[in-house]
Amino acid sequence: MATRTFTGNSWLYNLTSKKDLLWLTIWIAGLGVLWIWDALFLNAPAFVRLQTAFLNSLLTGLMVVLFSLTLGWFLGVSLNTLEHSKSKVGFAILSFVTDILRSIPQIIAVLIGYVVLTILLHKGIIRSSFVQMVWIAGTIAIAVFLEVADTIRQRIDYFRTLDFVDAMLCCGIKERRIMNVEILWKNSRSHMLHKLIAIFGISIFLQCSIDFIISVGLSTDVSLINFPMTLGNLLANVDSKQDILALSNLFTEPGYVSVIFTRHLQGLSVAFCIVFSMLCIYMIANGFVRRHKLA
Amino acid sequence: MSAFSSILHKENTGLRTRLIIHGAGIILMAAAFWVFISAVEASRIDSRESDNEIQKYLDLRKMDFGDPVDRTLFRESLDVFYTGQTQRNDSVLTAIDNLRQRQFSDPAYKTGDTQDGLTWNMVRRLSGMYLQFIAVYGIVLIIIYLLAQRIAVYRFIKMKQHRESYLTQALELVRNARANRIGSIGGSAVRKLGLLLAKALVKGILLMLLFTPAYVIAYSVKTTIDTSSILFMILLGIVSNGVLIHTANKFFTFLVSESRKGYVQTAVVKNLHASYEWDAPEGIPLRTLLQIKHGFRSHVFQSIFLNARFQFIPALKEHASFLVTGLIIIEMALNIQGHFCYELLQQILYRQYDIAAAIIFGIFLTVKATEIAIDIWEHKEKRKYGY
Repeated sequence: MATRTFTGNSWLYNLTSKKDLLWLTIWIAGLGVLWIWDALFLNAPAFVRLQTAFLNSLLTGLMVVLFSLTLGWFLGVSLNTLEHSKSKVGFAILSFVTDILRSIPQIIAVLIGYVVLTILLHKGIIRSSFVQMVWIAGTIAIAVFLEVADTIRQRIDYFRTLDFVDAMLCCGIKERRIMNVEILWKNSRSHMLHKLIAIFGISIFLQCSIDFIISVGLSTDVSLINFPMTLGNLLANVDSKQDILALSNLFTEPGYVSVIFTRHLQGLSVAFCIVFSMLCIYMIANGFVRRHKLA
Repeated sequence: MSAFSSILHKENTGLRTRLIIHGAGIILMAAAFWVFISAVEASRIDSRESDNEIQKYLDLRKMDFGDPVDRTLFRESLDVFYTGQTQRNDSVLTAIDNLRQRQFSDPAYKTGDTQDGLTWNMVRRLSGMYLQFIAVYGIVLIIIYLLAQRIAVYRFIKMKQHRESYLTQALELVRNARANRIGSIGGSAVRKLGLLLAKALVKGILLMLLFTPAYVIAYSVKTTIDTSSILFMILLGIVSNGVLIHTANKFFTFLVSESRKGYVQTAVVKNLHASYEWDAPEGIPLRTLLQIKHGFRSHVFQSIFLNARFQFIPALKEHASFLVTGLIIIEMALNIQGHFCYELLQQILYRQYDIAAAIIFGIFLTVKATEIAIDIWEHKEKRKYGY
């Protein structure tokens, strides 16, 4: 019985050959172990906050992916259509604007979005937490969607070098359908999925970073408590900061390691969630590239 | 108009046209920021004049606007002087309350900052911080460029040696033991398994460190190390935020894609060394990781490396932008006073949006300058290889 479990088609060994699925499993398992540990040792209010923060961050990340895909698809296809139209003015203007947008570091774009959000919160225009998350996701998407647009353009350009496009045009298929359905949907899903996984990772990083930055101070009228609970927001909390600071004790007092995983659990759990998620998402994206031979 | 569009069609244009595009972008952004800064300055002057008007009432002797009796007296006096202008009089009282509130709560009043906006003094102060920011950025960018290549080359050679990850090797060890119906693993195998798992753990911790956001690392060593030093900032810029690992991964992707091309097989047929074993007679000496550019002579990897490096140069642009993001996060999140990006956050807090805009423009210029430098570098490399 034991032999059958560890040979041939065992699910574990299937996983080792599919690194993306292996790392997805590791991610879920790691977070599962953390959840059980926190359920046992973390105080109830902090545990609830941690779960809310994680789910909110996940939801915002997914919204970023969705918005980036929409914006990137639209921009990529538009640029391609304009590039091959008779008048190149539209293409020239649009590529010039994207060129400028590319030179603005992502965190600055997100910061500007947060400044506007604080003004809207202060004036009472935005109240709902969900709308705030949609706003945050939209802001991050604007900072990162160009990567999706680039992938889309690369894919279309690649297929244009083949007979693929000309043959379909000869068959009477509309160019719009060739680009959107034949090239992007039928032949580029793996590439797009890989890019979206990477964007999901970047969005988690940017979200956590900007929330942490805001804890330093962005407005006297609007503070962290006005924003929806996210991992970055929870990490910026004074209790979490003290938990992370406590790690310094390990340098002078290595024996402190025995209590650190129970006494300073909130900050460590949040930090672990962020770092472990970023590592796993990176590994998933890499494994995906290898399995689908995208490189 | 067609000339204009051909200039902007980047893919088909030379260095000169690319520089024109960058120049046009800088001019456009400079104009946009100038308009914004002028608008903020105009609004500040309006607001200051309005505050001065209100301040006159606050300066009235023996008048306490916190006392309801005084407020009523004042309101009635206004009605006497401005009869029938109820709305105007209400607005004056509201403006007085607003100003009094701001004088208590506005950080600028608390710190005694005069909120003069973008004065020459401020520009001079910002310039020093900006130069320091550029210096740190330049050093980190160069180190990351060099380190990322070495990490990618090491990873590529390990891949060519068909070495599985430590975790996979450990699982393989367990599988072999079970498949051979040994039932239990012997003592030496247990030691080997332990060693593999320990290596996997250390590698995992190192990888996690590379993905850790800078503020987590900084806070975890804050009481032990001086986290406000430039050296620490440079170190954080290199190892944190996933910048190094992402850059290395990009270079690794180029190496893999190059290694699959036909010329590699041709080179092998023509008897170029093709072994990827460390320090083997036809392999790669480990020390070549130190002199990476010229270290693989007479080995097929030399061409793979040079071609990958050529493609890596333009890709550096996006990594440079991400690196700037990382440095901004480090400066802002660590509360290091007197740093360029921390100043940006402070100016946003004090609603000095004109100064904040000037700082953002400075950051934009840094990224643009990097893009220009990379374009020139790419152009030189192209000429060297006869493109």
